[in-house]
Amino acid sequence: MTAELAIETTDLRKVFRSRWSGKEVCAVENISLRVNRGTTFGLLGPNGAGKTTFVKMLLSACIPTAGTARVYGRDTKDPEARRPIGYLPENHRFPTYFTGAGMLDFYAALSGVDAAKRRKLIPELFERVGLDPKWMDVRVGKYSKGMLQRVGLAQALIHSPSLLVLDEPSDGVDPVGRRQIRDVLHALEAQGVTIFLNSHLLQEVELFCRDVAIVNKGRVVLEGTVNDLTAGKGYKLVAMNGSGPKEWNLGSREEANGKIDDLRREGFSIESLVPTTSRLEDVFIEAVQGKK
Amino acid sequence: MTATFALIVDTFREAMARKIFWGLFGLSLLMVLFFLFIMKIDVVEGATATITLFGQTAGGEHRDMAVDKLVKQVHSSISTFLYSFGMFLAVFASAGLIPSVLEPGRIEVMLSKPISRAHLLMGRFIGNVLVVSCNIVLLVGGVWLIFGWKTGVWSPGFLVAIPSTIFVFSVLLTVVVLAGVLWESTAVSTMIPVVMMILSPILAQEETARKLLSSEWSRQLWLFLYVALPKVYDVGKMTLDITLGQGAGSWWPIWSSGAFGILVYGAAQWIFEKRDF
Ligand SMILES: Nc1ncnc2c1ncn2[C@@H]1O[C@H](COP(=O)(O)OP(=O)(O)O)[C@@H](O)[C@H]1O
Ligand SMILES: [Mg+2]
Repeated sequence: MTAELAIETTDLRKVFRSRWSGKEVCAVENISLRVNRGTTFGLLGPNGAGKTTFVKMLLSACIPTAGTARVYGRDTKDPEARRPIGYLPENHRFPTYFTGAGMLDFYAALSGVDAAKRRKLIPELFERVGLDPKWMDVRVGKYSKGMLQRVGLAQALIHSPSLLVLDEPSDGVDPVGRRQIRDVLHALEAQGVTIFLNSHLLQEVELFCRDVAIVNKGRVVLEGTVNDLTAGKGYKLVAMNGSGPKEWNLGSREEANGKIDDLRREGFSIESLVPTTSRLEDVFIEAVQGKK
Repeated sequence: MTATFALIVDTFREAMARKIFWGLFGLSLLMVLFFLFIMKIDVVEGATATITLFGQTAGGEHRDMAVDKLVKQVHSSISTFLYSFGMFLAVFASAGLIPSVLEPGRIEVMLSKPISRAHLLMGRFIGNVLVVSCNIVLLVGGVWLIFGWKTGVWSPGFLVAIPSTIFVFSVLLTVVVLAGVLWESTAVSTMIPVVMMILSPILAQEETARKLLSSEWSRQLWLFLYVALPKVYDVGKMTLDITLGQGAGSWWPIWSSGAFGILVYGAAQWIFEKRDF
């Protein structure tokens, strides 16, 4: 039953305790989350909400204070639970002595990919993430931030994971690069790979994810499908004619403008045009502002 | 196996990316070349002497003794060098290899792979020991071969310096590892084992200290430190004795240092497994 889920956490909790002062910070407070297989899941929240800590617990890079986390039904305490995971951390710092190809080779070997397969996969992955293969033998110390993000993504994909975990994947990547990365991710999604992404950007999650959870101060404050939670986003238009005021809800700016043109032609006079927000946006903005 | 091998190769690659390891290798190579060069001059200058020395006739027996003594002296000075300066350099060079792997942004990627933390740490440890071992084998093996070839004196005792130095280095490396997982500082990781190395010949004067120290508790403390800490000096002296063709004496410095190493490595692994990154 549980293996139907890619990720399942129950009351997962993390309290950081400073070694010297003993001061405690509760980064993740009893998060219970279920991520279906094959979905694209966005964990959205302002900086410091606990997203990175949550993900690190899935990978056992952080040891949970309480609660359990399972990946495809396996407890994350077991190193084998990490075999189906590809992970790209935020603020990664790959050793600069690696060449691009050497780096992929090393990380693939840690995942148990044999040498012959690695040789075959490395150029393929360079291509897939949009890196020119001529960079394969260049040290990653010479790569730009955007290129590091791509080679980092290649590192997360080289063992053909069925769950991809990305922490702030568009950090430091230019708009074209973001677009390309999104295309790579869409292709993976089409292959049935589950994608879990952390982001502090509402738009990124809205654009890419099917399911979403908003976290704030270590707690999930809203959870659902992006479609449901973004319903209601758009414009409310009120216009009058002889028979009194009428109301329209319109999804986009273009739609609103088109409607206004039509109504004007039909002899309506515009009373008001008010942007409306979605539940997702409301809760997110509240979370961001509440933090200040 | 794939992962273990990759971890070891990675340690080599990182070591080679650091100038200090090249310095270490350069130094060993230089010493080997130095002896190669010196011996050549010897042979050229004393060509006839050497030839008669190694003729079938037993005529030059006392000279044979002299060469034998010279070779052993060189061997023992190299052993001494290895145990003092060489060991210091090796620790100094290695001390950064543990903290670097724990750097934020780097360790997370490794931890996300399906290998245990114990495996990861062990891979690094073995890799580090192997890098230094290559160096020791190059130096000791090279000198041994050159001397054997040039003088015909193949004293196998000197080769004991290879396992013995590797052993002592491994024990000191466990301290580097423990300090590394605790504080992630190259400076601290260097300092603690170096202090242990410096203390070792002092603590070894346990019998003298017993006479000099006035209070019972200070005598006990001295004894405790001597027994507990790695016996770099004693193992070095054992090696020297063997090199010079004397007996090994008591083995307890070996096994007590080994026990120290196992204990410290165990503690390092335990701490590493519980840490958050
Ligand atoms: N290693 C750590 N030690 C102490 N506090 C930490 C540590 N890592 C994260 N925190 C704290 O936990 C909270 C959540 O951080 P994080 O998970 O990085 O948030 P996000 O990824 O959502 O920005 C923050 O208040 C942060 O300061
Ligand atoms: Mg974060």
